[in-house]
Amino acid sequence: MASKTKVEDINRNIYDIKDKDNYEFKIQKGLSREIVEEISKKKNEPEWMLDIRLKALEAYNKLELPTWGPDLSELKMDEIATYVKPKTNLNTSWDDVPEDIKNTFDRLGIPEAEKKSLAGVGAQYDSEVVYHSIKEDLIKQGVIYTDMETAVREYPEIVKEHFMKCVPITDHKFVALHAAVWSGGSFVYVPENVKLDIPLQSYFRLNSPESGQFEHTLIIVEKGASLHFIEGCSAPKYNKVNLHAGCVELYVKDDAYLRYSTIENWSKNMMNLNTKKAIVGKNAQIDWVTGSFGSKVSMLYPMSILNGEGAKTEYTGITFAGAGQNLDTGFKVIHNAPNTSSVVNSKSISKDGGACTYRALVRISEKAKGSKCSVSCESLMLDDISRSDTIPVNDIETDEVEFSHEAKIGKISDKEIFYLMSRGLSEEDAKAMIVRGFAYPVSKELPVEYAVEMNNLINIELEGSIG
Amino acid sequence: MDIKVNETPVRTSRNFRINNITINNIDIPKKLNEFKNVEIFEDKALIEKDVSQLNLAYGNGEILKENVQNEANNVLKITTNGINKQIRLIYTFDKENLNLINNIEFIINHDSNITILYKSNTNEVCFHNGIIRLIAKDNVKVNISIINMLNNNSYNFDTIDNKLESNSNVKYTIVDFGGKYSVSNYYSNIVGKNAKNDLRSIYLGIDSQIKDINYIAELKGENTDINIDVQGALKDKARKNFKGTIDFKKGCKKAKGDENEFCMLLSPEAKSIALPMLLCTEDDVEGNHSTASGKVDEKSLFYIMSRGFSENEAIKLIVRARFNKIIERIKDEKIKENILLQIDERLN
Repeated sequence: MASKTKVEDINRNIYDIKDKDNYEFKIQKGLSREIVEEISKKKNEPEWMLDIRLKALEAYNKLELPTWGPDLSELKMDEIATYVKPKTNLNTSWDDVPEDIKNTFDRLGIPEAEKKSLAGVGAQYDSEVVYHSIKEDLIKQGVIYTDMETAVREYPEIVKEHFMKCVPITDHKFVALHAAVWSGGSFVYVPENVKLDIPLQSYFRLNSPESGQFEHTLIIVEKGASLHFIEGCSAPKYNKVNLHAGCVELYVKDDAYLRYSTIENWSKNMMNLNTKKAIVGKNAQIDWVTGSFGSKVSMLYPMSILNGEGAKTEYTGITFAGAGQNLDTGFKVIHNAPNTSSVVNSKSISKDGGACTYRALVRISEKAKGSKCSVSCESLMLDDISRSDTIPVNDIETDEVEFSHEAKIGKISDKEIFYLMSRGLSEEDAKAMIVRGFAYPVSKELPVEYAVEMNNLINIELEGSIG
Repeated sequence: MDIKVNETPVRTSRNFRINNITINNIDIPKKLNEFKNVEIFEDKALIEKDVSQLNLAYGNGEILKENVQNEANNVLKITTNGINKQIRLIYTFDKENLNLINNIEFIINHDSNITILYKSNTNEVCFHNGIIRLIAKDNVKVNISIINMLNNNSYNFDTIDNKLESNSNVKYTIVDFGGKYSVSNYYSNIVGKNAKNDLRSIYLGIDSQIKDINYIAELKGENTDINIDVQGALKDKARKNFKGTIDFKKGCKKAKGDENEFCMLLSPEAKSIALPMLLCTEDDVEGNHSTASGKVDEKSLFYIMSRGFSENEAIKLIVRARFNKIIERIKDEKIKENILLQIDERLN
């Protein structure tokens, strides 16, 4: 009997448990000026924020859908409710969170993680943040970690200065949509020279069917400060399309450090059209660690804009596409100052008809003399019904640069299997070890509990036997 | 008129400025007299003045395609077979022959071994828009060199469309020096089992020259192979867009594809964009690509200058050394010398 190694789909059991669609308020489906005004009114927002929303709506109506990338024709805005308020307000104790919502986050291990290894936690359920906490000693040092609505109310000057400035509302159609209907998300402010030793984490859960989640994350890491921020997201699967169009704006000031880790595990009816950008100052650094496993369609390309001399960025990402998934992901970096550097390491695995695309941009501007960039991307095809594409653009505008890009595509190497088998491993074990090894450069960059989760996500099941 | 040409097989964001190239205010010549200054050397090949009107898989857009189909002033269908045969087409532009629109079809019959040399040169400002179609039948070996030595203020549009049948081995060597705009669209349909396509090209951009290069290889047959190696240098305000696509189609089991592009930037104002794509719907394949850009290697420069050469001479030597492994593939000694001379002149 021939041997067969099967790489299982991601085990989604805990993610797919649906709660009753038990909301306090769900806005009518579609997108109009009235809907945008109503969201703003429900949130009791200041006038300036409503102005931004209305300008964004105008931009949304003018902008075209992308003429490239995955097919978005299944996304019908008329069938999406952009705001769903759960039956609770923001809580600072898990005990106060309603039982059904708390159970969801318990299953996802969020309170447990908070106890063990986090400096603060935010949890969003549908359109609103239902829980937020931060350790006392960080508050004393001036660290702010709260939901975006509170930030708009309590820190309006900081928000006004930074909100939709790193990502302009006209960036693309789904950024405009986000800015028009955003709700929830996290605000982090780390004062000068404050270094957080343990991470903050926000978790986003979308429970309501035929709805969208549009959380806004705004992080400011002041001069000489450092932070590790973790973002997780998931949703149960429904038959109709859900939409996630979040926006992440990161400001990493001079000499500061930010590590932004994401494990994205949306359900396979989700259109994940997310936007993430960071502006990086002099001698500052941002590192992105990204695992993209869920969603039906993803278009996600985190971007580092290296504006300060000596700024650095690293991107480490893995994408795993199974049946029915089209995950178009990658990274963009703009070198805008002298002696900046970037390192990109991307991996993808396609199986069961899934499609992975690595789409990227490296732009080294005329101002970025002495800059360096190194890009490596590898794609693994586990069968012949899947698809894997690599579409990187490298735009070099000055001569004093060191730039290199390399990419590989293929299946598990027969030679590697043979070698491992010659060392006594079965074919199944050899293949499993190679797949785990392939993902290792990404999993080693994750916090331990997330690395374990990722290894579980890439659950290898062996079937059959040799001979 | 304004034209948008040389579309990539897969689009990406418009902001990346690479999906196509727009050329503004171009006059596309029509109703031309026959281009007379062409030297044709053929070794018992059959030459006809009518080509098959096959569709192009890619090409340089409808306007330029129709221009060739309707307005060509040089049409050649060359059918050949035999061992160690040679074909030479040398186009020299002069005051009476400033516009060339050519449509050329090579049919290389099975088991042949053919060398083809295609060269265009001039000091005059000229216009060229052409299609070369090559059908390599079973078991043929073709070694084809395309050399563009046009004036730097000219327009040059090349479309190359190849079909490789079983066990064929087609080697291309492309030298792209001339043209204010030089736009190359190369497509290989590698359909036959064990067919191999090897494409090596060099480009040199100076002043405000713009090179838009779009190489596409579709691997369809089992155990097929494509190897693309592009070496370039850009000086002054020259700009280059390189788009290279290796597309592993379903069924091309054991196929291999390699693509390498290296661009030497010889001035701070030179611009280089590269889009090396790998597209894959077959698992049992090996695909690799790499691109790199940067200044001339400082150590090599220092070493050569320590031997008494000026900086400019040293740069020329380094560029020649980089290009030489590709130039060496051209079988004609005089043409090789001419290419090396051109490198020197253009980098002075």
